[in-house]
Amino acid sequence: MSATRRIRFTLNGRSVTVEIGTHETLVDVLRSRFALFGARESCGQGLCGCCTVVVDDRAISGCLFLAARVDGARVETIEGLATGERLDPVQEAFIECGAFQCGFCTPGFVLMTKQLLDENPEPSEDEIKHYLSGNLCRCGAYPEIIEAVRVASRKRKSGG
Amino acid sequence: MPFDLVEPSSLSEAIKLLDPDDPAVRPLAGGTALMLLMKSGFFRPKRLVSLCAAGDRLERIHVESDGGLRIGAMTRLASLERSIELRRNCPVIGHTLRTLSNVRVRNVATLGGHLAHADPHSDLPPVLIALDAELVLAGPRGERTVAVEGFATGLYETRCKGDELIVEAVIPPVGGKRAAYLKCTTRSADDWPALGVAVVWEDSGGMIKSPRIVLGAATETPTRLKVAEGAIAGRTLDDALLARVGAAAAEEADVVGDARGSVAYKKQLVKVFVGRALRAAQAHSGGTA
Amino acid sequence: MNATAKAGQVGRSLPRLEGRAKVTGHAEYVHNWQVPGMLHGKIFRSAIAHGRIRHVEVDAARRVSGVHAVFVSDDVRRVIPNPYYGPAFHDQPILAIDKVRHVGEPVAVVLAEDPHIAEEAARLIVAEYDELPAVTDEVEAMTSNVIVHDVLKPAGTFPDLKHLEGRKGTNLALDFRLRRGDVRSAFAAAEHVFEHTFRTQPVMHTPLEPFVSAAEPGDGTLTIYTASQSPSFVRIEIARLLGWPENHVRVKTAFLGGGFGAKLYIKLEALVAALALLTRRPVKISLAMDEQFFTITKHPSTFRIKSAVSKDGRVTARECEVWWNGGAYADIGPRVTQKSGFTAAGPYDIENVSIDSYALYTNRPPAGALRGFGIPQLVWAYESHTDMIARALGIDPIDFRRRNFLRDGRPQATGTVMQDAATGKVLDRLVERIGWGRPFDRGQGNLKRGRGIAIGFKASIAPTTSVAIVNLYADGSCALYCSTVDMGQGSDTAMAQIAAEVLDIPAETVRVVHPDTDVTPYDMATLGSRSTFHMGNAVKRAAEDARAKVDALKAELDLPPGSNIPLPELFRRKYGMQAGNIIGIGSFIPSYASPDHDTGLTPNATPFWMVGGTGAEVEVDTETGHVRVMRLINVADLGTPINLRIVETQLSGGAIMQLGFTMQERMEFAEGQLLNPNLADYKIPGMRDLPARIENEAVAAEQRNGPFGAKGVGETATFGVSPAIANAIDDAVGVRLTELPLTPEAVYRALTKAGR
Repeated sequence: MSATRRIRFTLNGRSVTVEIGTHETLVDVLRSRFALFGARESCGQGLCGCCTVVVDDRAISGCLFLAARVDGARVETIEGLATGERLDPVQEAFIECGAFQCGFCTPGFVLMTKQLLDENPEPSEDEIKHYLSGNLCRCGAYPEIIEAVRVASRKRKSGG
Repeated sequence: MPFDLVEPSSLSEAIKLLDPDDPAVRPLAGGTALMLLMKSGFFRPKRLVSLCAAGDRLERIHVESDGGLRIGAMTRLASLERSIELRRNCPVIGHTLRTLSNVRVRNVATLGGHLAHADPHSDLPPVLIALDAELVLAGPRGERTVAVEGFATGLYETRCKGDELIVEAVIPPVGGKRAAYLKCTTRSADDWPALGVAVVWEDSGGMIKSPRIVLGAATETPTRLKVAEGAIAGRTLDDALLARVGAAAAEEADVVGDARGSVAYKKQLVKVFVGRALRAAQAHSGGTA
Repeated sequence: MNATAKAGQVGRSLPRLEGRAKVTGHAEYVHNWQVPGMLHGKIFRSAIAHGRIRHVEVDAARRVSGVHAVFVSDDVRRVIPNPYYGPAFHDQPILAIDKVRHVGEPVAVVLAEDPHIAEEAARLIVAEYDELPAVTDEVEAMTSNVIVHDVLKPAGTFPDLKHLEGRKGTNLALDFRLRRGDVRSAFAAAEHVFEHTFRTQPVMHTPLEPFVSAAEPGDGTLTIYTASQSPSFVRIEIARLLGWPENHVRVKTAFLGGGFGAKLYIKLEALVAALALLTRRPVKISLAMDEQFFTITKHPSTFRIKSAVSKDGRVTARECEVWWNGGAYADIGPRVTQKSGFTAAGPYDIENVSIDSYALYTNRPPAGALRGFGIPQLVWAYESHTDMIARALGIDPIDFRRRNFLRDGRPQATGTVMQDAATGKVLDRLVERIGWGRPFDRGQGNLKRGRGIAIGFKASIAPTTSVAIVNLYADGSCALYCSTVDMGQGSDTAMAQIAAEVLDIPAETVRVVHPDTDVTPYDMATLGSRSTFHMGNAVKRAAEDARAKVDALKAELDLPPGSNIPLPELFRRKYGMQAGNIIGIGSFIPSYASPDHDTGLTPNATPFWMVGGTGAEVEVDTETGHVRVMRLINVADLGTPINLRIVETQLSGGAIMQLGFTMQERMEFAEGQLLNPNLADYKIPGMRDLPARIENEAVAAEQRNGPFGAKGVGETATFGVSPAIANAIDDAVGVRLTELPLTPEAVYRALTKAGR
């Protein structure tokens, strides 16, 4: 049995090694070993997006992703998005547009928005709604989030 | 709780690690569905056989010279969605994927996992059946080919044996066929569908040839509506025919009622959406909708 | 009290102060809390709706390697002998005692250092019950032989519940009655009489941060970290359960990942307190999403409403009977029953009114407050009813409302005279925005369009107290201590703006200290849209007190009151160095008069009125019953907003939440089981469920006794959404739905029944 194993991966640009149980999810490991709380389990079913983590440039649901699978991968969390004190344009846009209320779903929306704009720099409203339909905001900040995606798109285009 | 997680580097090795007599040993593809079963306690694995490194054949999208497609079972749904080969040769699949679950799931879930899970609400099985696709299964005694039609034998049950793996899906050339998939949700836009309807036919000078109409989600397994197919074969689509075929489809479909709709209501949806899917397919050739 | 903003801090559309923390993932939630040596608890829950507990088998769970302990109610009683809690009734046991009264009720709890082990072990617990018949419908509960509680135990907090003490053989947890005028004669003389019955479904708040509480034992003290909207209540109630002085219990909160009324009173706090005392270790319980549905819900309701209407379209009498399905434990249900009872007849000037509002125990998960405190259920009924009457009489629904509207200066059903309630303005702006009376695209083919509007109002909860402290440090910086919980509504920012306005400093520089009952003073709770008004007034007073003390210091230092010597310099002159504080204290409790027990009448039912209206334009697919909301217009009277930007997001957020309750959300029960306790099957609105257009407007208004003219906003946009959409559906296709949610199937069935 290999019920526990040592894995090595790049976490927000830093190489890390950690002992994990095969049953542990990525979000479990981020919070319990690295005190990173920005990806958080809520619905537990990959529907709300609160646990969004980017693994090898792909957004995934950290609560449904076995930590063992990030061995050798590049893992980015919301905590790694800002460069020092400088926020990512998506983060700035979310603040400017008031695109959150309680903030619990916000890291997931921010990361998904960044992914969306990486793939599609000027998405239409319909494309925004489809791309972000797997993220839920119970406070209903959706209109402001859509606006923030547009603002972030403009900011990125003009170089931040 | 911890379990044995193995990552064989070839298909044959993977097959050897399976155990048809032990339901606690299972292959692991994207894992999105399996993780849900594990988290809820329905499935407690003893050993998971990860197929991540089990060979290139599982991950490639190959276009045959006639335009047919062979898609490796470990191809991620997001890769299918973005595949230029698929967009060119079978656009109905990309269209279907757009509303299949969400981006993060599509980034992880695989075609093989999607089919092997055999959730009746899955979107791709009706489309693949309508396209007359087949699956290549590999097991200790070699490979065999089965049709996607009939592959799911019940709720979460398939023809794939405990020591077999789906290797690839084979889609015959789509060419100029008309194809569409429409789904209908009743509780929210991103809900599991109350029904999905896939239609494919060949247009022969305005006449419908070799139609396939497949109903998913509303039935226990995706089902061809053969009476409805018969009603449109050799005919030209018009409003009267659409009404007739809708009624025939609703009549023959063995619909299951649930929280997304009663049997009577879902029959009405079948009636409406079969017609709408045919219209959508008619509007586009080459399987766009 | 009526001061207008001059310093320019109030009225600024300042982005939320905590924005940076929230977009970087660093915002503090109780969800994140962990300490070394902490135990995780997993609750084992009842699988049946009603039964006597014969035996709970926990040995297998105890034997699991890594399990620290497994506890049942007898264990809890070793540290809390009388373990029943609740804000209105002391009816809810920490873990089930003798009986279970709803599916999902906590029966036992497993503790382990590894949460996965606790969860695995909890699955090994087996309970045996003698199952009892269950009562689940609120109307049946009035007369059912199935009795949920053998004897009623009012908490003693609310005077109108005292008469229920010791009552047996009943499920009735409050019968609020209001009698005004002569209803019987008015109906006898009426030209027209209309009677309809409306129902609402069970739904849940589903905050994305599920319930989470932790407790850490100290030396004769206990610290509770909890995602709670009511830290002061938690301290008082835990102290009562333990028999300790209040100052031995410390309750801390952080940002809440949503609350919406769910995280009030006691939820997990009493359980983690007991577990920490039993184990002498820190204990944390984080619920999974599915467990939330068994913890607290929104009241399903049945509302029979009957109106007498004169020849000229005036409502002369209204009779209202409302049954509230409170579930197995009263929680705050009796307050919902009474407070919403005040306004069940709607914002109409009706001479003769009779209201009966019944809180009922049933064998469903408990129901409590959810964004509107019962008002959305009432508005759903009375605004649907209003349109139905207007249509039946061939009167334009807007015109009919204008004929009957309750205007400022007129007494409302309780007898309280309406003041600062901009009902007329809200209606005018709705009519203007939706373009009522102007030509309108009614759709074609199978897609038909229609429009509807609805207006509701609410009496604020009263009497309640808020206390705030403003601390000016020797360098001139300012901290604000208040126990208002920022759960997303933006209270930190609004309170900082109020303090900053008085002190004439930038609001960004005010540090808002989060609730910690050892540090921040008492506040009744963050609920019922009360904080802006109550805490806002307290903060304003605290800041004014601090400012007065600064002036006193200037006088002491022989400086003229208008002198512009900076604050740090004042401190240096007084103390000879950078030292000392100035502490300003403010407290606020508005006046209130309890309603008469027999008539429900009172001259002072509320310190302020909330008014919210919705206009909806819908497109109905007549072949499938699908309803698409094309426009959702939310107009509200919020007084003079402190921060217009945040207020607008509260309006649209509230409306979107109510849109979920209107169109798609429903807890599905069958044979005592809850079938959909998860977000895969309980569908809250996502991006693609949004109306094509959402518009929000705060009408120009002033709440004269509010801080800088402001009043609450959190619930206002929820009031009119459901009936506005039902009215629009009727306008589009001529069918009327009387039960929520307005699912495609319900619409389609109604169309079929009507032969359309």
